Amino acid sequence: MISLPFIVSLLIIAVLLFWPDVGVVARWREARRRALRVRREDALKHVLKCEVNGQVPTLNSVAGALHIRDGKAAELLADMEAHGLVTLGEGRLRLRQPGRELALHVVRAHRLWESYLAEQTGVAEAKWHHLAERKEHQLSPEDTIALAARLGNPLQDPHGDTIPAEGADLPADIGQPLNAAPLDTPVLISHIEDEPEAVYKQIQALGLRPGVKACIFSKENGCIRFWADGREHVLTPILANNLTYVPLPGTTPEDLFDEEFLSELQAGERARMLGLSTACRGAERRRLLDLGFVPGTMIEVDLVSPAGDPTAYRVRGTVIALRREQARLIRIGNRETIPMETAAR
Amino acid sequence: MPGDVHEHLVEAIYADAARIADRAVSRPGHQARPTLDRALDHVLTSRIWGFPIMLLLFALMFWLTIIGSNVPSGWIADLLVGKFWPLLRQAASGLPWWLSGLLVDGMYLSTAWVISVMLPPMAIFFPMFTLLEDFGYLPRVAFNLDRAFKKVGAHGKQSMSLMMGFGCNAAGVVAARIIDSPRERLIAIITNNFSLCNGRWPTQILIATLFIGSLVPAHWAGLVSAGAVTAVALLGIGFTLAVSWGLSRTVLRGEVSAFSLELPPYRPPRFWQTLYTSLIDRTVFVLWRAVVFAVPAGAAIWLSANLHVNGVTLAQFLMQYMDPVGVVLGLNGVILLAYIVAIPANEIVIPTVLMLTVLVTGNQGVGEGAGVMFELDSPEATKNLLQAGGWTLLTAVNLMLFSLLHNPCSTTIYTIYKETGSVKWTTVAALLPLVLGFAVTFGVATVWRFLG
Repeated sequence: MISLPFIVSLLIIAVLLFWPDVGVVARWREARRRALRVRREDALKHVLKCEVNGQVPTLNSVAGALHIRDGKAAELLADMEAHGLVTLGEGRLRLRQPGRELALHVVRAHRLWESYLAEQTGVAEAKWHHLAERKEHQLSPEDTIALAARLGNPLQDPHGDTIPAEGADLPADIGQPLNAAPLDTPVLISHIEDEPEAVYKQIQALGLRPGVKACIFSKENGCIRFWADGREHVLTPILANNLTYVPLPGTTPEDLFDEEFLSELQAGERARMLGLSTACRGAERRRLLDLGFVPGTMIEVDLVSPAGDPTAYRVRGTVIALRREQARLIRIGNRETIPMETAAR
Repeated sequence: MPGDVHEHLVEAIYADAARIADRAVSRPGHQARPTLDRALDHVLTSRIWGFPIMLLLFALMFWLTIIGSNVPSGWIADLLVGKFWPLLRQAASGLPWWLSGLLVDGMYLSTAWVISVMLPPMAIFFPMFTLLEDFGYLPRVAFNLDRAFKKVGAHGKQSMSLMMGFGCNAAGVVAARIIDSPRERLIAIITNNFSLCNGRWPTQILIATLFIGSLVPAHWAGLVSAGAVTAVALLGIGFTLAVSWGLSRTVLRGEVSAFSLELPPYRPPRFWQTLYTSLIDRTVFVLWRAVVFAVPAGAAIWLSANLHVNGVTLAQFLMQYMDPVGVVLGLNGVILLAYIVAIPANEIVIPTVLMLTVLVTGNQGVGEGAGVMFELDSPEATKNLLQAGGWTLLTAVNLMLFSLLHNPCSTTIYTIYKETGSVKWTTVAALLPLVLGFAVTFGVATVWRFLG
């Protein structure tokens, strides 16, 4: 004899398990479907990046990029071929048109989301890549168009990568690793690889960003020494490998060494502002611009905090205090001592 | 280049504005700031005088608040407790005893206490603070202190919400709005409770006077007890910095956000306007919230002293349970229970402690009956009563520490919830100081007993 409570509990369990959309089984299947989609899109992205950079994508490279076993990668690629996303004909892995479009969309969504995080949120820089890795699979093409419009259709993401325009192709990565840069020649840091995170964090902590001008003056004892943003930096070759440069014709090393920054300005001195470093961006950059830190402005030191930092600067008739980290981002020139009778008045 | 369009726009706007201004505005003399402003700034932010002036100014402000609020507090207490309360009791004499007790002795009296203790200091402190703000001094304080806050990963403007917290933590939490970065704002909100608010100053001052000032000869007593209170307040600032440091390295890790602070020229404050707005915006606002929470607390206190469980009152029943914990912490059950019923407003801690002590010791001839809050006329009488309740120097020291380190009052908790919109962070802000308080009092009690 089966008791009533037993049947009732059985029923409840069955409902919890099999209820459409919210039941355990439905949720589990949904999660599996999503995981498959993420893997598929990541694989497409990998193949696309290989294609534009002239590398040959293989089953092994897909497995490596996605951190999955070869057998699983083979299964995934077979599934993608069945869906018309890639072709394995002639023994080569290649994108088909629908696959290319999807891959381009994912790359675009990723880079746009990173730009969004950089420009409009206070999310820590080291988290951008990881968050964008997740978000890229959730944004629809309409979402990305709206996002791009909101950001003012940016051309580059915060790492210096090109954001492909809607319907446009992905250009090949330009530039070479900083390790290979010639000595005593100014170069422009064009890209900073955001993986692995630990390495990226170290580079970021040094204040190095795409758009910074650098000049290597020594590569000895396993250290690369270079000048950038008015300071000397030292990187190990492993770290420097994650930085990419493009040549900077028409600039001499002296131009770089002679660059001066607001943090160097002493009490009783004034200077003309030349520009904001590219390392300063997002809300911080806009704030400084809004406060009147625009090229051509005369800036003078007004007060120094009793603790030595921050320093208050007089800009366009107002007094604004900045921490040393901010002042270091403002390039100045024509540094001079304020004549005594002006200062006294 | 990031932000290209925006940048060019801003540059163009500034270039235009500069051209127009050059044509239209003449600057007689020079465009330098007035000499007085500069001289003042050079003193107020100087390497030598910057910090001492700051300390003195705030010490003066607290001193004026403490001294100045004594007399009006007495007046209000006289009026609300001395005059109205007997009248209300008479008027309610027709009601059943439990209803009149609940309404008049519980709800009315606790509200009256809160108003008489809170209103005068707030009405003195907030306008003074607003006048300083109006004058333009507060940005200089943030300027002076920024380095310390930067070191612990917090925002320089946190110093302003911290000082606001010395008046009232709820107001301090609201003041944290001036910090843009959500991470640093949360740090400022969570640590604001370490600023000794005016609801806790009376407790500190009374206990320091009774137990610490009495350790030294009479002519030193005032200075020593004032020193003890200042030490506790400075300890609070130490905790603010330490906890900010801890938070910004663990759960609230992140980059130190950009800091830019405008130092406006000094202005003569608009006295009457400031007085009016600070009374309306801050004092009445904070007082109203406190009253809203004091009414149910009064009911709870009265009920706990008049409801009986197994032959003893609920309050005694609860204290029996809490006493062992309290003793381990170097406190006692009375204090712990008082802090539970005083969650709505820290001001009622001392009246509640006295009432509960009478209940426990069975001391006759003081107070007005079970569940009725009161304050004794003379400090000696208070001290005798407390010593009859088993208080020692350790109890006093730990009460001062616990008064600094315990959960914020319900008004502040509610404000934190309103400001953060997060149950999680509200819980953290409420429990973190309490856990610290238990740890610190336990540590002090253990060391004390080991040495003594």
